[in-house]
Amino acid sequence: MNEKKMLLMKIKKYDFALKELNLYLDTHPNCRRALSLFKQYKQLREKAMSEFVSKFGPISPEDSNDSSHWTWVDDPWPWERS
Amino acid sequence: MNLDLFDNIDGLLIRERENYLEDDDLKSRPDNNYDPSSFPERTPLAMAYIPYQQWGNVYDDDKALAQGTLFPDLDLPFKGGSRL
Repeated sequence: MNEKKMLLMKIKKYDFALKELNLYLDTHPNCRRALSLFKQYKQLREKAMSEFVSKFGPISPEDSNDSSHWTWVDDPWPWERS
Repeated sequence: MNLDLFDNIDGLLIRERENYLEDDDLKSRPDNNYDPSSFPERTPLAMAYIPYQQWGNVYDDDKALAQGTLFPDLDLPFKGGSRL
């Protein structure tokens, strides 16, 4: 697996863990263990996201973070991926 | 969330206890002997029940995505009606 795919996979896994904790916390809003795990995964996700965006470009338009160029439209487009 | 309404159903719906415990207490699970699959003695017929989830172990993110749940307690693959 190349680096790009590995980073995407990481983000996918963190997103899933966060969603699971989200659902648990909906019914257990004061569970400190779930809250602390949510925080950990949130940080891991942020780290993986910024690494991905800096290396491979934005995942969503709001990740475009260049003051002189709108990187969202840069190649490759989703259907051009190898 | 107020669950008081359900508290008189013979303890079937276990209140989340973690909220009232100190950090140290949280390390040992309060419900080691609690079997979520068994019904209390006088369980009315024809009612549907969902035991309230208690905090337990969690999978790591790799395993969680593969199993489709972060919680081993909820990792219950369907095997044609026979229990695990």
